[in-house]
Amino acid sequence: MSNIKARGIGFINTYKAFTKAGVQSSMAYRASFLCFVLGESLYCFVMYFIWKAVFSSSGNSTFMGFSMTDMTVYVFLSNLVGFLTSTDSTENLADEIHDGSIIMRMIKPVNVDFSLLAFELGNKVMMITCVFLPVMIGVEIYRFTVLGYCAFHIGNFLLFVVSTVISYLLAFYLNLIFGYLAFFLMNIWGFSILKGSLIKFFSGSLIPLAFFPGAVRVVFEQLPFASLVYVPTMLYMGKYSGWEIVFVLAKQILWLGVFIYISKVIWKWAQKRLAVQGG
Amino acid sequence: MRFLRLYGTFIALHLKKLMEYRIDFLTGAVSFLINQITNIVFIGIIFSQIPDLDGYLFYEIIFIYGFSLVPKGIDHLLTDNLWKVAWFIVRKGDFDKYLTRPISPLAHVIMEFVQFDALGELLTGIVLVVVASVKLSISYTAGKIVLMIIAMLFGTLIFTSIKIACSAIAFKIKQSGSILQIFYMTSDFARYPVTIYNEIVKNIITYIIPFAFTAYYPASYILRGNDPVFCIGGTVVLSLILFGFSLIVWQKGISAYESAGS
Repeated sequence: MSNIKARGIGFINTYKAFTKAGVQSSMAYRASFLCFVLGESLYCFVMYFIWKAVFSSSGNSTFMGFSMTDMTVYVFLSNLVGFLTSTDSTENLADEIHDGSIIMRMIKPVNVDFSLLAFELGNKVMMITCVFLPVMIGVEIYRFTVLGYCAFHIGNFLLFVVSTVISYLLAFYLNLIFGYLAFFLMNIWGFSILKGSLIKFFSGSLIPLAFFPGAVRVVFEQLPFASLVYVPTMLYMGKYSGWEIVFVLAKQILWLGVFIYISKVIWKWAQKRLAVQGG
Repeated sequence: MRFLRLYGTFIALHLKKLMEYRIDFLTGAVSFLINQITNIVFIGIIFSQIPDLDGYLFYEIIFIYGFSLVPKGIDHLLTDNLWKVAWFIVRKGDFDKYLTRPISPLAHVIMEFVQFDALGELLTGIVLVVVASVKLSISYTAGKIVLMIIAMLFGTLIFTSIKIACSAIAFKIKQSGSILQIFYMTSDFARYPVTIYNEIVKNIITYIIPFAFTAYYPASYILRGNDPVFCIGGTVVLSLILFGFSLIVWQKGISAYESAGS
């Protein structure tokens, strides 16, 4: 028992260093962090105005089951989820693979994905306090002024938190797999643009998946991308009920398992063919 | 003259590289193409539920959208190296080499790299404009076409000027990629009719960061016959003012430049 405890503390101590480095790095890049936030909010406002125009042109108060208030919450929240679950340490991994510095990570007695995750944890703490909380409060104030009552639901919020954590891990392993592709591909830049636009499309960041016609919608909802943004956002908005909630969460966990497995397989395989050039 | 000859040499060099890395080029171009397609599907889904968006028909929106891609694509094709100045050329101290060459550093930076990935964007833009023109049966006159091309070229200058000015900030603060990104992203607003925005956003993208003149205004002249003096003239005048301004910022930046790196 005490042995396990000691190992646990050892584990925390090992990875705490990575988390600390993560906090420090996000402090160092404050300016670019701020610019990034500004850029994201700009995008949200473009979408907000487009939907506003759509609603005023349609003449109805609801558009495919969404009211304008719903839509506003959706736009800001889905982008927030996308932002919270974005991971860039895996892109650094691609760079490390190209310039060979990956070897420094491999010779350390740590697990590659845990070290990256611990590093990002530091980053996320900052994102949650500086971005997530203010935007969420803003969204709730907006909802309150429009609807005249507080629509915030603590149960939905907790489901949202659970789902977002899973979605983050899912995004992380998905990106890790993309990062490993750097072992085989050169134009990782073009590829990441492609990845970005596909995720934006299939995850529901661009359009709520509910807006797609019948069969397409059913297919999209089963894809792993839906678990990235659409599921947490819809949970927050309370659009799922009863067994549906269990079902969507189970699907998220299932996909997470699949991606962890794939990343392990690729990593094992890539390690064997890794040839670091130069020194 | 000498400038053009040099540029020719650079482009020939790039074409050779392109042949060498065909797969990379295809990944890049296809990526930008797919990015555009997802946006078009988005517009399509919206229009499956409404007859028009703020008075604009589906193909009119497609026309404006396609129009916006042309200046953006040309600029992307020719001046992509400015992004590198903003992100890392200055920070890593690699800018010194441009200062030692017998041509203007700005010209050299721009000539040095041709981003063929941009063809995905550019071709989508041209196809959308042509398809929308046919569907809307727009009657083109020679004058209209000339004005359209002028607007596209000067619209390109708006993009380039903003990139020059923003990347020049890197001379002062070492890295300005994220600043450039914000300014560049405001061009997303220009892909839709400015009439859907509130007054604040509308004035910003018309007069301050005039991306509305890279697509919506010139397109509205073609589509609706809106005042060409404002719609096309505005593009020309504002792009020239902005270009002049960006050159001043660039010059100021270079004189403040202290080499970084080791």
